[in-house]
Amino acid sequence: MDLARDCLDTQLVDLNCRHMGRVDGIVIEIEDGEQPRVAFVESGVVTQAERLHPRLGRLAARLAKRWGVAESDPYRIPWAEVTPTGVNVTVGVEAEKTPAFAWEKWLRAKIIGRIPGA
Amino acid sequence: MKKAIEIALGIVTSVGGFLEIGSITTAAQAGALFQFRLVWAIILGGVCITFLVEQSGRLSAVSGHTVPDAIRERFGFNYFLFLLVVLAAVTLLVLGAEIGGVCVALEMATGVSFQWWAIPVAFMMWLIIWKGTFSVIEDGTAILGLVTLCFIVGAIVMHPPWKQVAVGALPTLPAHDRLRYWFIAVSILGASVSPYLMFFYSSGAIEDDWKEDYINVNRVIAVSGMSFGTCISVAVLVLAAMVFLPRGIQVEHYSQLALILRDAFGRWGFWLFISSLFVACLGAAMEITLQLSYMVAQGFGWNWSKNQRPKDEARFSLTYTVFIILGALLVVVGIDPLKLTIFSMALTAATLPVAIVPFLFLMNDEEYVEEHTNGWIGNVAVIAIITLAFVLAVVTIPLEIFGGG
Repeated sequence: MDLARDCLDTQLVDLNCRHMGRVDGIVIEIEDGEQPRVAFVESGVVTQAERLHPRLGRLAARLAKRWGVAESDPYRIPWAEVTPTGVNVTVGVEAEKTPAFAWEKWLRAKIIGRIPGA
Repeated sequence: MKKAIEIALGIVTSVGGFLEIGSITTAAQAGALFQFRLVWAIILGGVCITFLVEQSGRLSAVSGHTVPDAIRERFGFNYFLFLLVVLAAVTLLVLGAEIGGVCVALEMATGVSFQWWAIPVAFMMWLIIWKGTFSVIEDGTAILGLVTLCFIVGAIVMHPPWKQVAVGALPTLPAHDRLRYWFIAVSILGASVSPYLMFFYSSGAIEDDWKEDYINVNRVIAVSGMSFGTCISVAVLVLAAMVFLPRGIQVEHYSQLALILRDAFGRWGFWLFISSLFVACLGAAMEITLQLSYMVAQGFGWNWSKNQRPKDEARFSLTYTVFIILGALLVVVGIDPLKLTIFSMALTAATLPVAIVPFLFLMNDEEYVEEHTNGWIGNVAVIAIITLAFVLAVVTIPLEIFGGG
């Protein structure tokens, strides 16, 4: 598999085919004397900001720590749980229970869910 | 049989959704100032959007990606964000113009100034999107949009010199107001070749679950829908040339536009025009709102299907709510809807390459469209028309603004 072409920026879906963000980054671990190894894929605003500019990434990380609602941003998914499935990359989790849905759940609880007819 | 119905519905959708504030205004100004001389611009724009819509439908049917989705995947986050910012800025102006169009229709009907209508109209749009499903919104506005066919009937009733109209299909320079001529040509191209239309179409293809066997359905819908739509725009131009030019009306205010169907239908013409303007702009405003929100949701990988309940896609729902508010604000602060329309259309033409160039790469990438890549005619036609629109826009927009003409 070609990591940048087939995995980076691809749609992430959970076990129930719910969209849960995109592969915003890929973390590769390099240890002395060993082959480089893909450890995680990352998703979240901090990684996106990092891609625009490292300084923006640091700013986003600070803001996320202070005001973010996710317990971890970026959300890291171990490589073992990731399966490319053609159009998407499937992750063996339930999106609702992951940090990827932290803002979604926050908005639902605080704003959108309170509007009649939601 | 199922596909025949889908084709019929698809054509109705394209025809009913074709006309909006931009195409009405630019075509009317063109006719009022330059008689039939700018028919070529409408046809050129129509040809280009036909190619682009067909291609984006093909991309979605074969690859399972919408256009913004594929651009994010193929060109990365940074390019996607750049595209999003540019398109969102221009498209918000267009959204303001469409909401302005709905409000102007209401002003003509009631006499209450258009600014007062912005908030009720925004709320109505929001409520329809909040409650409606994709097919209700798309089919509903399309079927109501068929009222715009009255422009074609009107143009025929007026017995225009068809030979001269046909001659207008070839570009000729007028003896006066050349800068204005080119500027209106740009606005016409921007009004017909709008990225939101092709992005929306590709989102629709995914919502309707098109697969590879829909390639021919897609082709028939794109070609017939866009050609019929183009005919309506030409009809508006013809009407303007027959009604406004002899009276020396240059269409500098919307209230003048209301006369366009008067000669053809008498008193009824006034009401036909108001309902066409209302329906066409309302439909376009909702499609633009949805498309902008689809683009955000697709690029960031959120859920975006309009067939789910708002609370199951809270981020998407918040996004369209914010866009509607921003669009309505442009009208509330009292920007002249006519000026907003003309400039947002010209700006659209200037930003076309940003959206279309990466799209053409995708249409030639076998990773996405397999053996259904573009032929050279499709590539060359689109590149040529986009380049023309871009060059004209870059030259004429500053001249228009700073009064060089």
